[in-house]
Amino acid sequence: MAGVSLKNVVKRFGSIEVVHGASLEVEEGEFIVFVGPSGCGKSTLLRMIAGLEDISGGEIAIGGVAVNDVEPADRGIAMVFQSYALYPHMTVERNLSFGLRMNGNDKADTARRVAKAAQILRIEELLDRRPAQLSGGQRQRVAIGRAIVRDPQVFLFDEPLSNLDAELRVQMRVEIARLHAELGVTMIYVTHDQVEAMTLADRIVVLRAGRIEQIGKPLDLYDDPANQFVASFVGSPKMNFMAAEVASIEDGRVTVALVNQGSARLTVPAENGFAVGDRLTVGLRPEHFGREGEGDCDLSIRVDMAEHLGSTSYIHANTTSAEQLVIEREESRSEIGMEHLTVSIPAAKAYLFDASGARLR
Amino acid sequence: MRSKSSSTLRRSIALHAVLVPLAIVWLFPIWMMVVFSTMPENAIFSPNIHLIPSDRFWENFLILQADTDFLRTIFVSVVVALVYTVLSVLLTSMAGWALARYSFAGKGLVLLIILGTLTLPYFVVVIPQFIMVARDFGLANTWFALIVPPLFNSLGVLFMRQSFSMMPSELFDAARVEGVREWRIFLFVGMPLARPTLAALSIILFLASWNNYLWPLLINNRPDMMTAPVALGSLIGLTKVSWGGIMVGAVLLTAPMIAVFILLQRHFIAGIAAGAVK
Amino acid sequence: MRMRTRAAYGFLAPYLLIFATFWVWPIIYSFYLSFLATRIQPWSFNPTVTWGRLVVDPAFLNALKNTLIILVIQVPVMIALATVLAVLLNSQLLKARGIMRFAFFAPVVVGEAAYAAVFRLMFNADFGVINKLIGSIGLSPVAWLGDPTAAMALIIIAVTWRWVGYNAIIIISGLQAIPQDVYEAATLDRVSKPRQFFFITLPLLKPIILFCVVLSVIGTMQLFAEPFLITNRGGPGQATETLGLFLYRQGFTVLNFGYASAVAYTIAALAVLISLANLWLGRSAR
Repeated sequence: MAGVSLKNVVKRFGSIEVVHGASLEVEEGEFIVFVGPSGCGKSTLLRMIAGLEDISGGEIAIGGVAVNDVEPADRGIAMVFQSYALYPHMTVERNLSFGLRMNGNDKADTARRVAKAAQILRIEELLDRRPAQLSGGQRQRVAIGRAIVRDPQVFLFDEPLSNLDAELRVQMRVEIARLHAELGVTMIYVTHDQVEAMTLADRIVVLRAGRIEQIGKPLDLYDDPANQFVASFVGSPKMNFMAAEVASIEDGRVTVALVNQGSARLTVPAENGFAVGDRLTVGLRPEHFGREGEGDCDLSIRVDMAEHLGSTSYIHANTTSAEQLVIEREESRSEIGMEHLTVSIPAAKAYLFDASGARLR
Repeated sequence: MRSKSSSTLRRSIALHAVLVPLAIVWLFPIWMMVVFSTMPENAIFSPNIHLIPSDRFWENFLILQADTDFLRTIFVSVVVALVYTVLSVLLTSMAGWALARYSFAGKGLVLLIILGTLTLPYFVVVIPQFIMVARDFGLANTWFALIVPPLFNSLGVLFMRQSFSMMPSELFDAARVEGVREWRIFLFVGMPLARPTLAALSIILFLASWNNYLWPLLINNRPDMMTAPVALGSLIGLTKVSWGGIMVGAVLLTAPMIAVFILLQRHFIAGIAAGAVK
Repeated sequence: MRMRTRAAYGFLAPYLLIFATFWVWPIIYSFYLSFLATRIQPWSFNPTVTWGRLVVDPAFLNALKNTLIILVIQVPVMIALATVLAVLLNSQLLKARGIMRFAFFAPVVVGEAAYAAVFRLMFNADFGVINKLIGSIGLSPVAWLGDPTAAMALIIIAVTWRWVGYNAIIIISGLQAIPQDVYEAATLDRVSKPRQFFFITLPLLKPIILFCVVLSVIGTMQLFAEPFLITNRGGPGQATETLGLFLYRQGFTVLNFGYASAVAYTIAALAVLISLANLWLGRSAR
């Protein structure tokens, strides 16, 4: 077992820099998830840890040893690929043992490791099959098994569940969590799916455009996002954003006008650096809207579409401007068919962001 | 409105009315090759038309074998074609692998030169090749001369490169993470996955070598190092020669290739068609 | 990884060595040779007896003329036939598809020496089965190997027989790449089958047909074995002497390497020019 440390890691393809100095300390045994939209550099970062991509700048260390110039095989890592990357011309057994055989590992030991991995993943009865004869979930297990066989210090997962259908994805997610608990080994997991990130991670690393936006525990990211990007990326349905303008500043509080929401006024606790007239963004999660009069500021909205799912309802409201709102309501049956609704914003739950997306506190 | 089935029937009849006679015309020379090879000499040169095989194949073969040691030339041809095919497949697969799966300085240039010189007629190189091999190396009438110079053929490089570059790179990354050395990845992952392409390429290369005429004609003229097509060609020009024997030679040259063609038609056609889909 | 770059060079090196020695270097050397007088030792720089001789050598001009005649007749006939064959052989209505394809594809595997022998015998003026068949329907026999025009026709027939299937295979692969729903849409629009061929199939096949034309031009420019073996070294007289045969004579009978190299480069230049002209024509006709 080993931790992984990234110090100011940079990746350039030719003259284009795609990772701009990423730093991160992964603790031993920790489950870390890299999450971000496609093209954010999360897979590149993972492949650099694996040694499949050169490191253009900075340093990566595994178990305290710098591995910049170490071949992938000697880094003590194992990787599970998005497409599973099973060798189609080999049986499951051969797939699991290929790396060991190619490196002259002792036969009996190879067999023992294969058997153990097969048992952990419950794929013993599949050993004589070829990948083409397996279902998606079974292939995924074999791919993970191939990683287990290596007995690595660090597991790397590159979007391992994105080729599975929704039901299997949930199932495999549980499986991977169980595996982590069972093996207790460091895992780094790349996904674009924030639900996977929230459910699996000890800590999440949110990336955008080659930069780490925030590192933190799942609920910390949810409760306390560092900026508008993280706020919008974590949580489903997404946080609502409303354009606002600073109307007045008092001692420790600022009052903003929601310019696209009929200039409703909201006073939030805030400390410094405001001027009257500043343009801001107010963020509020769908589940934080209150009923009329409950919050600190009422909004009158026009209901465009309502999804009633039983215990929860999602109200899609496109108010006067192009600023769409999604509101989550519980016990909303009495409101079915209503065209207008008044909701409220609790100031304590609102977030403020400046024009560049940075969080204002 | 015409009925659908009657118009289909009419088109079908027209199609076969054109194709069947044409197919017979096209098969005719191959058929006649067989017929001639079984006919006694005087029947070939008689005023009657013979379209049915006779029974003199063995006699004609003995005459051919006496005229030129044809079995020896077949042996030379088989060895040359086999060794050439294996070497060419290996060399061009390796090169195709390098060009498909790695990035390195000079890669674009190598590809450019290979593609750019592909359209040049063979005649441009045959003279210097001859001077080099026969005069400078002094290697006329050797196995080397028959096998090595034609290995320049870049068909395999392009063909294999295409095949390798269509494979998902995660497969090879997976092997790399497992510590498999590059040449083993090539041998145990890349090559097995390219099997259909390798089959097609091998067949095309074998055929090309088997039928190669100009280069062996130029570089090897000692009877014991002649390939079968050259030996056969040298008989054609002679005045006192057994045509029944020549036809036996033609059949012996052609029959194995026809057999290969029938057995491996799919790979064969893939190999030829691949030339067009670069 | 540096290791991986090294591996790449390792994979590439053996082939590149062969390629450089037996292809790239000869191309350069041959160009150099084409400026040398090579009939007397030591070889000396004298392009007038190589490049200079080309324009005044009647034997070369004869070979050039013959080659161009074959080219102009054989390539279009063969490509047109190959296209029609490809469409017919690809038809859903075709019965005994395997045998039909075999009939046209089999010549592809027949070696030059073997098929030259058969053609030479079949087209023998006195005893050849072709003349016997012609005679049996009451026509007078043709002096295939004795009459200049007939000998040219024989070469064209032989080359077409040998290569039409090869081109048909390539064109069929192009046909199979055309999505079937295009034809279904056309059928619903009541476009007749012949019109579908001219207005859908042909335009979509154009790139692949052009590719075949270019291949055939390069092949025909190098025509050697057929006149060498079937019409007995370009006979009658020099009537079927091609550029390939002429180069063979200059290079390997007379051993005039310098002149032969100039001929080789001329063949190459003509092949490239004609191919480019074809591509250009194909493009502008769009």
